[in-house]
Amino acid sequence: MESLLQHLDRFSELLAVSSTTHVSTWDPATVRRALQWARYLRHIHRRFGRHGPIRMALERRLHNQWRQEGGFGRGPVPGLANFQALGHCDVLLSLRLLENRALGDASRYHLVQQLFPGPGVRDADEETLQESLARLARRRSAVHLLRFNGYRENPNLQEDSLMKTQAELLLERLQEVGKAEAERPARFLSSLWERLPQNNFLKVIAVALLQPPVSPRPQEELEPSIHKSPGEGSQVLVHWLLGNSEVFAAFCRALPAGLLTLVTSRHPSLSPVYLGLLTDWGQRLHYDLQKGIWVGTESQDVPWEELHNRFQSLCQAPPPLKDKVLTALETCKAQDGDFEVPGLSIWTDLLLALRNGAFRERQVLGLSPGLSSV
Amino acid sequence: MAQDSVDLSCDYQFWMQKLSIWDQASTLETQQDTCLHLAQFQEFLRKMYEALKEMDSNTVLERFPTIGQLLAKACWNPFILAYDESQKILIWCLCCLINKEPQNSGQSKLNSWIQGVLSHILSALRFDKEVALFTQGLGYAPIDYYPGLLKNMVLSLASELRENHLNGFNTQRRMAPERVASLSRVCVPLITLPDIDPLVEALLICHGREPQEILQPEFFEAVNEAILLKKISLPMSAVVCLWLRHLPSLEKAMLHLFEKLISSERNCLRRIECFIKDSSLPQAACHPAIFRVVDEMFRCALLETDGAPEIIATIQVFTQCFVEALEKESKQLRFALKTYFPYTSPSLAMVLLRDPQDIPRGHWLQTLKHISELLREAVEDQTHGSRGGPFESWFLFIHFGGWAEMVAEQLLMSAAEPPTALLWLLAFYYGPRDKRQQRAQTMVQVKAVLGHLLAMSRSSSLSAQDLQTVAGQGTDTDLRAPAQQLIRHLLLNFLLWAPEGHTIAWDVITLMAHTAEITHEIIGFLDQTLYRWNRLGIESPRSEKLARELLKELRTQV
Repeated sequence: MESLLQHLDRFSELLAVSSTTHVSTWDPATVRRALQWARYLRHIHRRFGRHGPIRMALERRLHNQWRQEGGFGRGPVPGLANFQALGHCDVLLSLRLLENRALGDASRYHLVQQLFPGPGVRDADEETLQESLARLARRRSAVHLLRFNGYRENPNLQEDSLMKTQAELLLERLQEVGKAEAERPARFLSSLWERLPQNNFLKVIAVALLQPPVSPRPQEELEPSIHKSPGEGSQVLVHWLLGNSEVFAAFCRALPAGLLTLVTSRHPSLSPVYLGLLTDWGQRLHYDLQKGIWVGTESQDVPWEELHNRFQSLCQAPPPLKDKVLTALETCKAQDGDFEVPGLSIWTDLLLALRNGAFRERQVLGLSPGLSSV
Repeated sequence: MAQDSVDLSCDYQFWMQKLSIWDQASTLETQQDTCLHLAQFQEFLRKMYEALKEMDSNTVLERFPTIGQLLAKACWNPFILAYDESQKILIWCLCCLINKEPQNSGQSKLNSWIQGVLSHILSALRFDKEVALFTQGLGYAPIDYYPGLLKNMVLSLASELRENHLNGFNTQRRMAPERVASLSRVCVPLITLPDIDPLVEALLICHGREPQEILQPEFFEAVNEAILLKKISLPMSAVVCLWLRHLPSLEKAMLHLFEKLISSERNCLRRIECFIKDSSLPQAACHPAIFRVVDEMFRCALLETDGAPEIIATIQVFTQCFVEALEKESKQLRFALKTYFPYTSPSLAMVLLRDPQDIPRGHWLQTLKHISELLREAVEDQTHGSRGGPFESWFLFIHFGGWAEMVAEQLLMSAAEPPTALLWLLAFYYGPRDKRQQRAQTMVQVKAVLGHLLAMSRSSSLSAQDLQTVAGQGTDTDLRAPAQQLIRHLLLNFLLWAPEGHTIAWDVITLMAHTAEITHEIIGFLDQTLYRWNRLGIESPRSEKLARELLKELRTQV
């Protein structure tokens, strides 16, 4: 067991080095050895992937490595992403070496011979490295073809395949971090917030929060799920959002009303904070007598239309959320003086607008409030 | 060898041109043209590789100075990269160009360039920048998430198609026909990639509200080809949709079956049954439209081969598999018999479709008489003008081997006076084209033979010579071929069932089988009889043993 773990250590180092200029010192023999090690580990993964103790030992070792590297905060993990990655560690190594311009001519030549020996090389039980690489290339073309010949961004973000994939990856990563205890997941998320394009990140978080409870990622080899359910990941995200008001404000600002309504319905703990934000935004607006509309003082203030939009969306949500929202609005209206006349309290005007909107909607649907329902 | 290399050079020019026209296959025309040529181009690549691997890098460049361009153009066409093994062979070809020890900057540059192309095939991320940054930021390499991404995209597209199918006129969620057509084109190179199966299934099963066919014919052809070569596995419902939407595919599937049957061992019903079941055609035929096309093709084959016994046997086995499949269909989805056999009286169709196993043995005679009456009515009735006349009735009858083959046996089993109805049925089965008078004559001859056989069965000893005399009037020029065959089969039946039959069986057969054709006929008869006994659960160890021995012996002789 110990030798296996050491093997894993050495391979991880190898993998990290394989994308640096250090490979210029590698001779063909080194290349061959590296590939052999990768193959060995892949074989181990295949044989012991279901074997609880061995798997756990390997995972723990990987987590150790990450802790030593200072956690996830530093950027892309130079080594293996997770235990499943062992299943294709040879592909990982091969691709890094192939891309590395620092590799010497003789070594590169040898590498290519090893990776692509030509036809007639078949392995009875396992897929050869050549086949794996060819299949990766084929799948990439497939994604490319579908992306540019049939894919349309789904207006419901949570059903969009690109978004879903990113969300699944995020949830999976959160799980790993949780297990590795390399750092609190919150810190990990904060580091991502600083590094990644924020708009996309926010969307991914929203989609992740809307994922159905059980959705394990497809693996090439079947593995029993010894992990906790992905629902844990959502909890982590909610917790983090609640703990980072700046992020949450951006979250509520950037995402469309409908999406936020869905998220808040699904995760009720978010609704008080969301409503709080909306209230704050509302209070920043004042009534412009001349124009006859509610306006903000600064450019980044949320305009009336958007505010109205969000409240409207929330009111279309099923109870208890809908009721909470209406109650909150009524409370604000009461605090302002409980006016019925427009132009004095934004909450009055909002409630009026919402009721009118609802009335009009019922008319459109053919339901007049005067008639009793059939 | 020299000729090969000349061919290769010609092909090279051809493909260079094609690739230049196709470019990145971004238009409808270039995509369609690429799809048409995918298989041939892959063949060319294989030949190219075989030639290149014998040479070293410098020789390659001397021989094919523009090879780099050719390979690069191929790599930039996503349809080519997506197809079957083309990406692998392209990589092999590129590897042949790599210089082990570059001597000058030119060679180094070439190596570098090749590295770039390999990267492009394997790793370059031609994707949304944001997605790329995100996944990288999380620490994932493409190999980690590409399978999942592909799966999500495929499932998402499949569910969009399904919604499109169900929601019909809800224009908000409608998928434009061009988009569906585009998807079907894209599936052509990917057809053997298992990840794509849900999308292929959805494309086949879901059709929008357009009156004309949207999917591209090359898509149907590619799917059909993959099904026939077992390179894809789709649910039966998808296969049925394919064959309903694209008639040439159904025809090709039938022809593929015929080819397999022709090239396989003659006269082995068990093997025929395997091939037929394997082809999924019996289950598909539960849909009447498909059944009618299949039946039509059988009819043509029968007419073209002038009633070849192998075709008749195939039709019988097919019908049996079809009826079994029909039984398994849920009762609600079953079509009326009339839709399968529109030109037959419903009562005849119903009685023919009954499985002899479902009827107590004592009633078989009765049922056969009933069948005979109904058939005779159809055949001799001129006023209704049933389509095609006697041939159609005969064609219908021969579908049901369970009954057709049974007549002779039943006649031999009973000691009573042979019923006219059964004599007529037997004569009709073997000689559908006979005129009334000829048939009557045959019936008389058969009756006589039966009488003799009955007498012989009562006597204590049998001789081959006696049997030959009974038959034979076998040298008698009166007897036409159908009657001769009929009588041969009667004799064979007799030999199998008579207690002392085995003693003279071989002698009789030797006398009978004076041509190769007749030998094959006897083999076919024995094989069919054993098959039928097995199916109907007719247990007679002695007869079976005899039949098997005879069969084995005869098979060694042809």
